[in-house]
Amino acid sequence: MNITVLTPDRELFHGTIASVKVPGTQGQFQILKNHAPIVSSLEEGNVYIVTAVGSYRYYDEESGTVKDGTEAGHTITFKIAGGFVEVLNNDVSLLVRGVAEV
Amino acid sequence: MAGSLKEVRERIKSVQNTQQITKAMKMVSAAKLRRAQQAIQQMRPYADKLNQMLRNILSNLEGDADTSFGMVRPLEKACVVVVTSSRGLCGAFNTNVIKLAVRAIDEKYSRVRAAGNLTIVCVGKKGYDFFRRRYRDCNVVGDHVDLGTDLSFDNVSTVARSLMAAFENKEFDAIEVAYGRFKNAATQFPELDQFLPVAKQKHEADSKAKANYIFEPDMASLLNYLVPSILQTQFHKYLLDTNASEHGARMTAMDKATENAEDLLRNLRISYNKARQESITKEILEIVGGAAALENG
Repeated sequence: MNITVLTPDRELFHGTIASVKVPGTQGQFQILKNHAPIVSSLEEGNVYIVTAVGSYRYYDEESGTVKDGTEAGHTITFKIAGGFVEVLNNDVSLLVRGVAEV
Repeated sequence: MAGSLKEVRERIKSVQNTQQITKAMKMVSAAKLRRAQQAIQQMRPYADKLNQMLRNILSNLEGDADTSFGMVRPLEKACVVVVTSSRGLCGAFNTNVIKLAVRAIDEKYSRVRAAGNLTIVCVGKKGYDFFRRRYRDCNVVGDHVDLGTDLSFDNVSTVARSLMAAFENKEFDAIEVAYGRFKNAATQFPELDQFLPVAKQKHEADSKAKANYIFEPDMASLLNYLVPSILQTQFHKYLLDTNASEHGARMTAMDKATENAEDLLRNLRISYNKARQESITKEILEIVGGAAALENG
């Protein structure tokens, strides 16, 4: 399953993941492989991404550069102020704003 | 003759100094332009995805999609947002944007203006300076003049949100934005865009979008979340475009100025050499004349 996390200013994360947990407007839910197509709005809360075997790319806030990672089973957490999620054919698009590190 | 020689030499020096400055400014603008272009590119995937979601929902939605931002009301109170740069020396860039805004006001909003219900929101000092002096009968707002100094999405979207709230509260019946549309480093053109009310989206049969999506909470509320986000990105784009255009325009202007200085220098050098040669010829003539006089004597 692939995910792209976008903010209006940059791409935050892109790569292969095992699961992602998002704060939906009607409650938090987790997206695993072969999830049905869904579009949902997101509320303020935390996003948890669990990486899978494969490579991913992420934006490192501290150094301000894009870094690569390959570590599987690694959980990445960040806080968002709101946004949207779309899942279609194992492609997850996460549009978020007001991102802060936890 | 010696005096003129010195004069020309001094002029050459001063032109050279100017050329150095314009060259440096061109280089600075080129660097800034690259960053500005990057910012536009980085926000594009986000904007594209949002629009794609909107199309998805619209193609699944039956009947009309109406939000409070699409409401067309009789035009009584209007707002024109003029996005310019805060600094000059960028050719006709700011003038073009201002001209476009002035024409729009004359053509579309002259009645609104006569009634005293026209608000002009200026982003960028150049536009503010112009409208503050010439449009005293309008409500010229300069609260966001310095918006261009911090172009992060969070900062810009506060202004977008306040404009949207004003539209919802019926403080304005229409909001238009005049800004510098960025095409490439050499081309940028002023453009007028209707920000609010939102133009009606057409229902398009998009086969890919027809996937059986689950919509959470439901399509109507999603639309109510989505449209403001899209509007904010739209507004952000106006500013990013203007910023990139400004640097592009300045780069072109400074490049031309450098070239101009080069032409000037070439002519000055010719006249300098002419003057020098003339004075040498004169000296030789004097010496020859003197020697001839001695021989004859």
